[in-house]
Amino acid sequence: MSARVEDAVKIYGIAATQVRALDHVSVEFPAGRFTAVMGPSGSGKSTLMHCAAGLDTLTAGSAWIGGRDLSTLNDRQLTLLRRASVGFVFQAFNLVPTLTVLENITLPLDLAGRGGREREADREWIDSLVDVVGLGDRLRHRPSELSGGQQQRVAVARALVARPEVVFADEPTGNLDSRSGAEVLGLLRTASQELGRSVVMVTHDPVAAGHADEVLFLADGRLVDTMSAPTAALVLERMKAFDRPPVGSAAR
Amino acid sequence: MRATLHLGLRGLRAHKRRLLGTFLAVVLGVSFLAGTMVLGDTLKSNFGTLFANAYAGTDAVVRGAGSIKADAGPAGVRAPITASLDQRVAVLPGVAAVAPSVSGAGQLVGADGKPIGGKGPPTTAGNWVTDPALNPYHLVQGRAPSAPGEAVINRGAARSGGLKVGDTTVLRAPDPVRVTIVGIAAFGSADGMGPSTFTGLTLADAQRYLLPRAGEVSTLLVKAAPGTSQEQLVRTIDTVLPAQDEAVTGAQAAQEDTTNVSSGFLSVFTTVLLVFAGIALLVATFTIHNTFAIVVAQRTRENALLRALGAARRQILGATLAEAVAVGLTASLAGLLGGIGVATGLKGLFSAIGMDLPTGGMVVTTSAVLVPVLVGTVVAIASALLPAIRAGRTAPVAAMRETAVEAVGGSRIRTVLGAVAGLAAAALTVLGATRGPSVALTAVGSVLALAAMIVLGPAAASLAVRVLGAPLPRLRGVSGALAARNAARNPRRTAATATALMVGVAVVSLFTVFGASIKQSLDDTVNRSFAGDLAISAPSFGAGGSGLSPRIAPAVAALPQVRNVVALGSGVAAVDGHAVKLDVTDPKALTGTVTLGATQGAVAGLGADGIAVSRAVADRYGWTVGQALPVAYADGSHQSLTLDAVYTDAGVVGDYLVTPQTWAPHRTQDSDTLVAVSLKQGVPLAAGRTAVEQAVAGFGGPTVQDRAQFATSAAAGIDMMLSVVYALLALAVLIALMGIANTLTLAMHERTRELGLLRGVGQTRAQLRSMVRWESVLVAVFGTVGGLGLGAFLGWALVRATDSTRTGSFALPVPQLVVVLAVGMLAGALAAVRPARRAARLEVLRAIAAP
Ligand SMILES: Nc1ncnc2c1ncn2[C@@H]1O[C@H](COP(=O)(O)OP(=O)(O)OP(=O)(O)O)[C@@H](O)[C@H]1O
Ligand SMILES: [Mg+2]
Repeated sequence: MSARVEDAVKIYGIAATQVRALDHVSVEFPAGRFTAVMGPSGSGKSTLMHCAAGLDTLTAGSAWIGGRDLSTLNDRQLTLLRRASVGFVFQAFNLVPTLTVLENITLPLDLAGRGGREREADREWIDSLVDVVGLGDRLRHRPSELSGGQQQRVAVARALVARPEVVFADEPTGNLDSRSGAEVLGLLRTASQELGRSVVMVTHDPVAAGHADEVLFLADGRLVDTMSAPTAALVLERMKAFDRPPVGSAAR
Repeated sequence: MRATLHLGLRGLRAHKRRLLGTFLAVVLGVSFLAGTMVLGDTLKSNFGTLFANAYAGTDAVVRGAGSIKADAGPAGVRAPITASLDQRVAVLPGVAAVAPSVSGAGQLVGADGKPIGGKGPPTTAGNWVTDPALNPYHLVQGRAPSAPGEAVINRGAARSGGLKVGDTTVLRAPDPVRVTIVGIAAFGSADGMGPSTFTGLTLADAQRYLLPRAGEVSTLLVKAAPGTSQEQLVRTIDTVLPAQDEAVTGAQAAQEDTTNVSSGFLSVFTTVLLVFAGIALLVATFTIHNTFAIVVAQRTRENALLRALGAARRQILGATLAEAVAVGLTASLAGLLGGIGVATGLKGLFSAIGMDLPTGGMVVTTSAVLVPVLVGTVVAIASALLPAIRAGRTAPVAAMRETAVEAVGGSRIRTVLGAVAGLAAAALTVLGATRGPSVALTAVGSVLALAAMIVLGPAAASLAVRVLGAPLPRLRGVSGALAARNAARNPRRTAATATALMVGVAVVSLFTVFGASIKQSLDDTVNRSFAGDLAISAPSFGAGGSGLSPRIAPAVAALPQVRNVVALGSGVAAVDGHAVKLDVTDPKALTGTVTLGATQGAVAGLGADGIAVSRAVADRYGWTVGQALPVAYADGSHQSLTLDAVYTDAGVVGDYLVTPQTWAPHRTQDSDTLVAVSLKQGVPLAAGRTAVEQAVAGFGGPTVQDRAQFATSAAAGIDMMLSVVYALLALAVLIALMGIANTLTLAMHERTRELGLLRGVGQTRAQLRSMVRWESVLVAVFGTVGGLGLGAFLGWALVRATDSTRTGSFALPVPQLVVVLAVGMLAGALAAVRPARRAARLEVLRAIAAP
């Protein structure tokens, strides 16, 4: 098992302005599975990802990565854990503007000081990643010279480069057209199926969710439904239910 | 207008933190300026009060009419007058009292055997004027001197020398006089006339020890009878005076002394301080300009939005300027308060190095208030002008674009222009240094060089950062690589930040090189022209000290170990209309111990009606050997001297040599400045030195040095000057470093999202701090290296340009310059501490979500 949260509660603000972004959520993201997280805006999807990835702390409950309880780690340990075991693709602004495409991809390795002989061992892996993202001819370019889809692909490669156990992607295709989006989704899918990573993706797009092995539905900070072997049509149908006023039990 | 002001002030509130650096830069610069002006005014007034008090009871002064003031002297030298004049004056109508006054140099030896004072303020001796109305001092303890060997000393001297009534000590006049202290005097309520020391002897003693001939006094002090004005009194006295004497009112005498000090010592003093205040303000200008440029760039979107909503260009421009005015004005006012502190601090600094200044209340004139406030405000406005214009030009569509923070390189035109200016500057500077030499040419070249450096800044910055930053990735991994990229991402900004430091460091290295070269020159001069084994001198500074006893030379000459002794004394005269310091020496003895370099004519053959001058002087005035030169003395007599010889090396002896016979009739107080000794062949230095030391011990304990020590001590004053200069420049460098810190803080703010991303991807806080630190160090090193290069080059040019005789030396003090570089690096790291800490404290998620 790669990542999970148990009875997770996240509360923002205090007293009158309190927002319960996560309300007793328990969920597992096992290795080799591609999970999509869906739900209306403000339902807590990003919050769940951040807390599960160790970028944020829970108010109550616990978050685990590879058997380590994140609440027991200090800032430095969390950082090192993120560097080694977590890949994160943010919705926007994923690349350091001063670094080239290649440097952005290898950033987690460089931060870990893995150069020299270790880098030789990584070389093949980096080359194959570059191949997969299909940016072999743009390696010396700066992020500002890439299209949005290309940037997101670089970000996915960056998220995979340190061979993390879990990859989180927060609306990685949000700003992309369908072709670029499909490229990014293909990459994430490869990561889970062929490389055995646990991949978690937030999306609003039923088509994107259709690529996943499982879809989780969040509403008001609660896990309200899950769907295995989803297709775009099934997901779309399920989502329409959210638009109607809630009736009875939501979970199947 | 209202909207503009409102926008400006709102901007100010919103960017309080960002403008903190600007505020401090103005405060520091203005503090320095105000402090200097306040100190100057205060000292001027203190000196004015001092001299007014000194002549408080004196209505008229009778003195020698002629006065010759050589460049170095604090006041004009006058010949003594006949003592018996007092009887003629005393009987005049309107004269209530007459007191003869003798004054000269006299340095007391303290209870610890060390001389008191001598590091700037005068050390004086004279007769104790018995008429209390005419004596500015009054006894606070003991009694007036009445017998030979009795003395009254001022309370300040008694304090610093640990002397009290009943003690016996030595007065170096400069021939040592054993005195018993019978009284302690105060000057009004003060311990003395400023920080100067005074020893009062009986009239007979004073005449004997301080004047060369019997029957003379320095001046007569006259008190008017009630109802007689000072002017009336002067007119009456004038009728009985011989032609070579004159009478002036007490008020005029006080005024003359005040003017002497303020146009001489004080004006040099305040000018030097003002120059350093100017440097600090110049550095501040760069810092302020940079801050506003960045703030405006960061506000592009906001300004564009305002433009899109209908704000006029003028309103946006005005809003930025209003911000600058507000910052400039408040900071200047704060700086004014700081100025009082600076004035006190500067006084402390100078007294810490032994240069005491008179005390008294602070004088704050209107101009010392208005000028700094005006300058501070104008500096702030001028610095913000260009950014403000740029803000006004913001196109409304910019609101839709991402803020452009990507590489803004130097434009090609700018680079070409800078390169041309740089080449022209180098050519001018080198030409001024080598041909001519011409200080003016070099100075113009230097200013042009500074301008070229500013224009070339961005191009130089991207190149330098790339070169300097090249080893960083290997040393510091990806954090180092990121640091180098960040420093290079906006070369214009990097250049502007580093320029401030560059200016400061350039001035520091210029002075370092110049000082080292002067020291080297002195050292070389001593090595080249001082053929003796030992040098006897009485170290002093400014108007202090009293020189060496004229009896030292004969006493040392009598030693069996000694082969040759030469004494150098000094006098003043107007040679062909130029007031100059004469060097009085026995030419035959001189050539045995001092080498004068290539000589035209024979210095050894100099006679009583001859003069020898240095090559530099002969060239300057176009004098040739054999020519007759008219010479006038302070006592009114004239003489024609033949130019017998022209010599090259003036380092040890000075520019004008005459024999003691020539000077004797015109001499005032007898003293030598240097006695040079050559030992007999075979006498070991240590033995010879011991013998000489024993022989001179009885003459007030002068300093005996071997050649190396003599060379070093000649340069000691340079080190002291340099330390003062460094202390004054520290402020400019501090302002420059604040500029770096400020730019970094602003850049961190700009890069918030990027920082969050890096942290999210696994950069530890320590790595992030190191990244910020190395960026800062890179900028600082660029500034320091640039400043070092420019300063060393201009230092070389200046040394060469000022060396008209081609006898000076140039020295590049590598260890000192390496220290400057190390300090620059360290300071860069220090400047990054706060920005780095703040950047590291960012929360990952909030940073990434930042707008
Ligand atoms: N830093 C914060 N401070 C206060 N409230 C927050 C903060 N971040 C999120 N929230 C609130 O928590 C709730 C969940 O937010 P979250 O970002 O997880 O939603 P989301 O499902 O990702 O929405 P979207 O699809 O719009 O990205 C929302 O109501 C939001 O307003
Ligand atoms: Mg979200």
